Amino acid sequence: MNPFFFGPSEHQLYGVYHPAVAARPKKQGVLLCYPFGQEYMRAHRAFRQIAMLLAKKGFHVLRFDYRGTGDSSCDMEDVKADDWLADIDIAIEELKDMAGVEEIALIGLRLGGLLAATVSTRRQDVSSLVVWDSINSGKEYENELRDEISNRNEVVDLDQDNFIDADGVIHFNGFPLTPYFLVGLGSLDLLKNMPAAEKILQVVSNENNRFEQLKSAWSKLDAYEYDHAESPGDWNYVDDYGGVLLPQPVIKSIVDWL
Amino acid sequence: MRERAVRIGKPTALFGVITEPDKLDAEKPMVLIFNSGVMHHIGTCRLSVKLARSLADIGLGSIRFDFSSIGDSEARRGGLSFEQSAPIEAAEVMDYLQSKRGVSQFILFGLCSGADAAYTTALVDKRVVGIAQIDAYCYRTKKYYWNYYKGKIFDPLKWFNFVKRKFGERFSPSNSDENDTEEYFEVASYVREFPPQETVAQGLQQLLDRQVAMNVIFTGGEVHYNYPNQYRESFQGQVDFADLLALHYYQESGHIITQPHCQKNVIKELTQWMDGVAKIKQAST
Repeated sequence: MNPFFFGPSEHQLYGVYHPAVAARPKKQGVLLCYPFGQEYMRAHRAFRQIAMLLAKKGFHVLRFDYRGTGDSSCDMEDVKADDWLADIDIAIEELKDMAGVEEIALIGLRLGGLLAATVSTRRQDVSSLVVWDSINSGKEYENELRDEISNRNEVVDLDQDNFIDADGVIHFNGFPLTPYFLVGLGSLDLLKNMPAAEKILQVVSNENNRFEQLKSAWSKLDAYEYDHAESPGDWNYVDDYGGVLLPQPVIKSIVDWL
Repeated sequence: MRERAVRIGKPTALFGVITEPDKLDAEKPMVLIFNSGVMHHIGTCRLSVKLARSLADIGLGSIRFDFSSIGDSEARRGGLSFEQSAPIEAAEVMDYLQSKRGVSQFILFGLCSGADAAYTTALVDKRVVGIAQIDAYCYRTKKYYWNYYKGKIFDPLKWFNFVKRKFGERFSPSNSDENDTEEYFEVASYVREFPPQETVAQGLQQLLDRQVAMNVIFTGGEVHYNYPNQYRESFQGQVDFADLLALHYYQESGHIITQPHCQKNVIKELTQWMDGVAKIKQAST
């Protein structure tokens, strides 16, 4: 496991590379695309576990932080959604160079699912795509946050940390999303923009209307598969100890499928 | 400013990121930024990253790293508790920085379990010249209890909730949802227990006798704390803080500091304080 910085010097990205540890490495590299905010914090351990399990299976794996998140450069105030799509492109090229592979599998959770699937539509080298509890569109994500804020229970939410400020910045569980970022995010839509990977898996930890919408839109694709790996847990729940989610049924589903 | 990802120690490395100004002054202390609970080294709401970059802007180097079995660092063999392993691993990181950067003085910063680790490490390692803690060990005073009960006795809503809760306990089925999902969660293995007050008083006095500077911040999320000067008063007659303690109470802040203005205030406060400590310690060398 090798942590390193990569990408252009003006906006360096932080990544952790897990080289394949199997005797016969696979010809496909795997790039993990994190969700955002507290969801990123809660998913970090699960992503590390997926990376290690896949490395044992012979995959070269890279997980990385988009600019403005984690250890990567910049602040969220300076980032737009297109930058994150560009970061995924940069990370794919880095992984191909490091691992000497030509084919890539993308795995994205929540907002990472939306981004990974969007990138997969415009590249020829993404042969497999896994979207996990994916957001269907940027608008849906923004509405989800706005709904949470407007339905906030002021008695329970004593910290009052979820709000929209005078500049229109959405502050959610300690992380900001600017109008500048949301405009670009709003143009991303998986219900209209079909992925073209050879293998596609939608894995869900529970069943709801939004996941069903994506299933319904993508089930027309020959490459599409669906798995419901029941794993209770709220990605956006915040506790004082930074408790993380380790949804083993989903992790197993993804590792087995790849 | 430069940032470099590092692996420290063998065979099971600790992972971290060093953030430093273009020209590091080895006579100034470097800052070690500890994990909070099981959150990995970027810290709550990226607090550790932002603090590290703010420090680099004023010429101070820092490392944010993961203790073993947290974040990117693997578990180590040996079966030590977090209280036992944290000072050992922090010393390992200081050894590394001493050998690679020539720095011999360190300031430790941590929130919650990280605050505890800063204190216990400082007790056993004389290279530590300052500790900054958020929601450190604290002890209740008479005034704490007065504030606590005053708020409840005169608030009809509190009485209403008390009665409702009592009825709820009798007539509501237990909420089994949380128990059902336990296997999908990972929480800190560290169970936070405050040591006896006398023990901490002695420890703090030891540090003060060594001229270790202290910055202690409490948030409104710390349930054992409810007024600005409680920390000093809880050690009254036992600990002589002299002018070595900076004490702050951010009542409006939650424990993991999710409010943006509180994050900014904490980073500004810690940066200025660490700058001051660094200048004093640099002059003394």
